[in-house]
Amino acid sequence: MRSRHRLNINVMELVRIIGFLILVEAMFMLVPFFYSLITDKAEVEAFAISIAANVVVGLSIVLTVKPRVRELGKRDGMLLTALVWVIFSLFGMLPFMLSEMRLSIVEAFFESMSGFTTTGVSVLENIEDVPRGVNLWRCLMQWLGGVGIIIFTVALLPMLNSSGGMQMFNAEATGITHDKIRPRVSQTAKRLWAIYGVLTATLGVILWIGPLPMYEAVCQSLSTVSTGGFNSCSGESAEAWATLGVRIPVIIFMFLGGVNFVLIYRASLGQVRRALSDAIFRGYVVVILLSTLFIVGVVLSDGETDLEKILVEPLFQVVSAITSTGYSVDSVYTWGKVIAPVLMALMLMGACAGSTSGGLKIDRVIFLLKSAKNEIKKVVHPNRYYPLTVNGVVKPPELALKVAVFFVVYLALLMISGLVVSILGMSVDDAYFAVFSCLGNAGLGFGETASSYASVPDAGKLVLSFIMLVGRLELFTVLILFTRSFWRR
Amino acid sequence: MKIVIVGAGEVGQHIAKLLSSEEQDIVLIDSDETKLERIDANYNLMTLKGSPTSFETLKAAGTHKADLFIAVTPSEDKNLMACTIAKDLGASRTVARIDNYEYLLAENRDFFLQHGINDMIYPEQLAALEIKTALKRSWVRQWFELHKGELVLVGVKVYENAAIVGAKLRDMTFTNNNFHISAITRRHETIIPGGNDEILAGDIIYVTTTPENVDDLRQLCGKDNHIVRNVMIMGASRIAVRLAALLGADYRIKIIENNREVCRRLPERCPNCEIIYGDARDNDILLDEGIEDMDAFIALTDSSETNILASLSAKEFGVKKTIAEVENIQFISEAEGLNIGTIINKKLLASSKIFQILLAADSESSKFLSLADAEVAELEVKPGSKITRSPVKDLKLSRDMTIGGLVRDGRGMLVTGGTLIQPGDRVVVFCLSGVIHKIEKLFG
Repeated sequence: MRSRHRLNINVMELVRIIGFLILVEAMFMLVPFFYSLITDKAEVEAFAISIAANVVVGLSIVLTVKPRVRELGKRDGMLLTALVWVIFSLFGMLPFMLSEMRLSIVEAFFESMSGFTTTGVSVLENIEDVPRGVNLWRCLMQWLGGVGIIIFTVALLPMLNSSGGMQMFNAEATGITHDKIRPRVSQTAKRLWAIYGVLTATLGVILWIGPLPMYEAVCQSLSTVSTGGFNSCSGESAEAWATLGVRIPVIIFMFLGGVNFVLIYRASLGQVRRALSDAIFRGYVVVILLSTLFIVGVVLSDGETDLEKILVEPLFQVVSAITSTGYSVDSVYTWGKVIAPVLMALMLMGACAGSTSGGLKIDRVIFLLKSAKNEIKKVVHPNRYYPLTVNGVVKPPELALKVAVFFVVYLALLMISGLVVSILGMSVDDAYFAVFSCLGNAGLGFGETASSYASVPDAGKLVLSFIMLVGRLELFTVLILFTRSFWRR
Repeated sequence: MKIVIVGAGEVGQHIAKLLSSEEQDIVLIDSDETKLERIDANYNLMTLKGSPTSFETLKAAGTHKADLFIAVTPSEDKNLMACTIAKDLGASRTVARIDNYEYLLAENRDFFLQHGINDMIYPEQLAALEIKTALKRSWVRQWFELHKGELVLVGVKVYENAAIVGAKLRDMTFTNNNFHISAITRRHETIIPGGNDEILAGDIIYVTTTPENVDDLRQLCGKDNHIVRNVMIMGASRIAVRLAALLGADYRIKIIENNREVCRRLPERCPNCEIIYGDARDNDILLDEGIEDMDAFIALTDSSETNILASLSAKEFGVKKTIAEVENIQFISEAEGLNIGTIINKKLLASSKIFQILLAADSESSKFLSLADAEVAELEVKPGSKITRSPVKDLKLSRDMTIGGLVRDGRGMLVTGGTLIQPGDRVVVFCLSGVIHKIEKLFG
């Protein structure tokens, strides 16, 4: 009977799907491969070997593993989702090791994980030294990881258009509850990717019309809409990157990358007013405006007179932090330490659930604040019933507990991993900032890690890579794998 | 196909799960979100919280584009209202679950069509009919007539004493070409057998055959044709009331009910029955009411467990035919293993009806049967469909389906490897759950 197989893990089917997914990754690697081939770059060979490795492993799995039972349960979905992210990073790091950069295994894995989880921290000091094909791959990784590897493959592979695919979708999608926009998971996934694709293409064109060269326009739009934050600009293009014509579209698209894609989908169907009146969306806008106002105040008190520096740069920095993109404006270091707590709070908070951003997600913050308010009011009126409403819908009280637990676990993880990283050889404040940045998939650096994470000790890099994955999959999907009850029948 | 289902009760959830694994687009609506949560997280379908009769909710579910709208809330009025609204919004076809026999009468059909209700499901009526068939042929577990009885599918449990136990299917076709063994339920699993499989004691075999051979089959399985006259029913549920009305004066019926209020009102609805107030779990009451002389015992209370156990104890008293209503699908195979004669499940009956509507535009003539983990469909072959292109053995049918027999020019015949199916034939297809979409491809 089928239900009896649900108790343990369907290893064969898991392996088979992983085989397919490895082939999907090879397909994506073709993009930088052809780019290097056309522009006649030395890294062609590195990509050829990496693709060959993917294809050999993927095909041999797909051709040999023939599972008897095809069904996937909840556990299978969680395990598979977590595994896929690790395996994608493992195969995705090959070009970093094989090209002329010759990164070590740990560095390459760190870079690769930082790419897929859209964290955007990097071990690379100077972007000019990175082969352009490899850099394109780095940005593509972020783009792929932005909405989600699983969500992409669910849209692509018909075999995942089942309740197994549904489980994987749930394990990867962010937020307290997951909205479906269409009955079948593959239709939902296709629409999410369509929105994502249109956003990216639009930004690419705008940046290209603006003064960025085509290559940088493509790379930057890949890592902006995915709110990843790898920087591909150096020299002349770095100057172009700092102009208003680029900065304003980038602010807008980082912002859109932080909005729940379901809302964007509804808005695209003409329900703009409904999208704009969404409580979470409004909260998101209000937080951005208030934080920007604070930084503007700081900048003004320093006696700044340039209008761009007063208005655009703080806004850029705030949106970059809250959406967990992680771009920085140069003047951020001149604003003084007083803004550090604001940026940290923004990174912790993150943008809307169902977007490409990281962090706790504003949905949860609003939830927590509302329940806190209710609890406080209850002190005065202990018998009165205070409903927890979001968007006019009363939420069940268990949800408040779920969110509170998430918050506590998030903080506990921050504390513990910060401690571990500092023991491994970083100064305490830099270690905590790094952990904040990695768990929230934000990618800002501070102090020692301001320009790159190269100086972090190897063990620390592994811990940070793990933290990035945990943050991207919203804690429980990964943490559950370390509990005994998950593996027990 | 886009299907909107209203009402996430037992029937609604069952249909939604089944159809979502058949690659259909399902939206499930209910006003109680706790009913939706689990199914939303675990199945490939969309759920929506809202009133079943709200225009806004039905619009949000995309009813205007739905190919099929199914209303299966517990309330008949809401179902009918929801269907009327859905039809007005633009749903192509609507089905309502009802609880009134009058609505099914042919003279009232036009009235419901005018109000936008295409089909109606009455699970209690279906269950009562099923029980009636089971009483008429007490030696079978499942009796499914196709095309005016030209072809029958018989499900029967074989014991050690049956002549066919130990026979290989391949050898059987040599000696006897009158039976097609379409499926075997062994322990908890249904399989589509091949030539090398053999029949074991304890199997339930599903045999397609023509009516003139049914008696041979009965003898081959070592069964007596036991005629039922005295029937005891436990629990005066809606099915019991329907059943009493259907059985009429051919049977002597005793209904045991342990709710005094229900007993008091029962005589006006079941004038042909003896009503006994008491608990049928009490052996003294059973003996007082002559359980030992009963030909059949039918357990129809709300509790599947009670029904199973009461049927078992009736069996101990020597009742030959036991019938139990088992609403938990996972208990069905257990109950089958415990030698309960026939098992009634409203969910399976309701989903049979839905599949019938789905598969055939002219559902009046096609029939459909849902078992716990398999389905049987009667389908008309359209000209040019894939199935007519080569003889059955060259069709490369997947291992989870088989073709049992066909009706050509009004005559039933069995299907062998060499049979070439022609357009206009009505064929019986037996398949395991979750592969009905494959059938659609073969016949589309």
